[in-house]
Amino acid sequence: MNMSSKPILQVSNLTKRFGNLVAVNNVSLQIDGGEIVGLIGPNGAGKTTFFNTITGLYTPDEGRVFFKGEDITGAPPHKICKLGMSRTFQVTKAFTEMTVEETVRVGAYNRHGEDDVAEKVDEVIAFCGLEEIRHQKCGDLGLAPLRRVELARAMATEPDLLLLDEAGAGLTAAELAELMEILRRLNREQGVTLCVVEHVMQMVMGLCERIFVLDAGELIAEGTPEEISNNPRVIEAYLGERAIR
Amino acid sequence: MKIRSTTFNRVLLGVVLAVALVVPLLIRTNQYNLVLVTTVLLYGVLATAWNIIGGMAGQLDLAAFAYLGLGAFTSGTLLIRWNVSPWIGMILGGLVATGFAVLVGFPLFRFKVREVWYALTSSALVEVLKVAFVMWEDVGGPVERYLPYYSFSLYHMRFGTYIPYYYIMLAILVIALVVNYRIGRSKLGFYLRALGEDEDAAEILGVDARACKLKALMIYAFLVGATGAVYACMYGFIHPNFFSGARSTEVAILGIVGGMGITYGPLLAAVILVSAREFLRASLGGQMESLYLVIYSVVLILIALFRPQGIAVMFRDAYRKLLSWITGDEHVLEANTPGI
Repeated sequence: MNMSSKPILQVSNLTKRFGNLVAVNNVSLQIDGGEIVGLIGPNGAGKTTFFNTITGLYTPDEGRVFFKGEDITGAPPHKICKLGMSRTFQVTKAFTEMTVEETVRVGAYNRHGEDDVAEKVDEVIAFCGLEEIRHQKCGDLGLAPLRRVELARAMATEPDLLLLDEAGAGLTAAELAELMEILRRLNREQGVTLCVVEHVMQMVMGLCERIFVLDAGELIAEGTPEEISNNPRVIEAYLGERAIR
Repeated sequence: MKIRSTTFNRVLLGVVLAVALVVPLLIRTNQYNLVLVTTVLLYGVLATAWNIIGGMAGQLDLAAFAYLGLGAFTSGTLLIRWNVSPWIGMILGGLVATGFAVLVGFPLFRFKVREVWYALTSSALVEVLKVAFVMWEDVGGPVERYLPYYSFSLYHMRFGTYIPYYYIMLAILVIALVVNYRIGRSKLGFYLRALGEDEDAAEILGVDARACKLKALMIYAFLVGATGAVYACMYGFIHPNFFSGARSTEVAILGIVGGMGITYGPLLAAVILVSAREFLRASLGGQMESLYLVIYSVVLILIALFRPQGIAVMFRDAYRKLLSWITGDEHVLEANTPGI
C-alpha cells in the first residue's frame, strides 16, 4: 500500500546479552520503506537495547542487521547516520550549552556543507515549529520542547529511517497531538520511514500501521494495531498495565 | 547618528591590540616586568589553544607542558647541535608535538578513554616525559642545556632583551585566537561542542567523534609545541623540568575559569589571574612565602562557586549592558548576538 515496499531494515536473529541477562533474544524483523511501525512491550522488555544495538551503540552478540541491503552489524553510529538512519533518545541527551539553532546545525552538517547548511537549519526549524525558541539554550528548555529539538536535530541529518525512543513520554495530550502531526507529515511529505518505541498507547495505535511486541527480550507478536490489541499473548504480557488503561 | 554595535566591537578590538602593542615600549627598562607580561601572553596562548580540546571538545587535557616541552626540546636540540634556526625549530617542534599527540590520542580515543580517565592519562603523560628526558642523556639529562648566547641574532631567536619575545608571543597569540575563532564557526567546531556535551548523541547525528577529537588534539599540540620553541629561546636553556604537571593543570584551570568554549575566555583568565598571581607573589613573597598561592586559590574557588560559566560570561554580560546603553540597541542583550 505504500509507495515503496522494499525492506529498508532487516534484522535477523539479533541477540544482545549483558552477563547472564539476555536483553534481546533472537529477534528477527523487517521494516519496509515508507511505513510507520511501532515497537511496544512492558518495561524492561529490551526495546531500548534493541535500538542501541541497531544504531551501533552496542555490538550485538549474535545476528545481523542490514540497512538498505548493507550489512551494518557493529558499524559505528556516525557511519550508520551517514547511510541514512538516525534516532532520538528515551532520556533526552540535549547539548545543554548549545542553542536550538546550533543543535539542529550539528545534524544538518551530515549532508550539507558550510554554503547551504543554514538553509537546511531554517527549513527544519520551521518544519518543527521551533522559530520562537531557536536562540534559546537547550539547557533552559522544558521536556516538551526538548523532545522536539531532539527530533529536529535527527531530522536535520536527512535520514531515510528514523527511530524514536519514547518521544511521547511525559507529554500532555495537546503536545502529543502536535508531535504526532509532525511525525505524520515527516512520513508523508518526506517519505521518512519511522519506527517508534512507545509506552503511550494512544500514540502507537494512532500512528502505526504495523506493530511489533517485545517481551523479556523476545518478539512475541507482530501485526496491525487491531490484531495486536486482540492477541492473547500480548494481553498476557501487558495484563497489569492494560487493566489500568 | 547611532553607533552600531559591530563598529563598537571593532573599535574595542583595535584599542586592545594597540595597548598590547605599546605595553613593552612603556616598560622597556624593566626586564622583570617584561618577563611578566610575556608570561601572561604565554599562558594566554596555552589556554587559548587548550580551549580547542578542553573547552570545545570537553576533554580535560592536563598535558599542555608535555607538548610545550617537546617543542622546546626539539627546537633547542636542533639549535644546540646543528645550529638550526628556532624559526624552523618552531615548525618542527610543533610537528613533533603533533606526532606525539597522534601517538597518544589515537589509542586513547580508539578505546574511548573519556572524562576522568582521559584527564589522568594526559596528566601521567607529562610525568612520563619528564622522567624520560632526565634519563635520555643525549638531548636531556638532569642538567640544563644552554642555548648559544647572542646579544642580538634574529637567526638564533636570541636577543639581549625580552621585548622581541613579547612580540613573537603576541603574534602567536593572535594566530591562536584566529584559529580558535575560525574553528568555532566551522563544522569541526560544532561537532566538537556537540561531542563534548554528549558523545553518543553526537555520533548518531553523523559526528565521527574519534576523528574530531584527534583533529582537535593535533591542532592544540601543534600550537603549543611551536610555542615551546619560543619558550626555550626566551629562557635560554632546556631542562626536563619544562614538563611540569602543575603548570599543565594551571593551563586547564585558566581554560575552565575563563569560560569553556568562548574564544577570548581563556585569554581573559590568563590576563587577570596570571597577573594577579605574579603581583601577589612579588608583593607578598618577601614576608610570607606561598601566601600568594592561598589567595590565588581562594579567588579560583570563589569564581567556581559564583560564576561557574566563567569570567568571559561575566564580562560579556557587563559589556552587553554597556553596549546597549551606549547604542540604545536592545538587540545586543539577546543571548546570541553574533560577533561577541
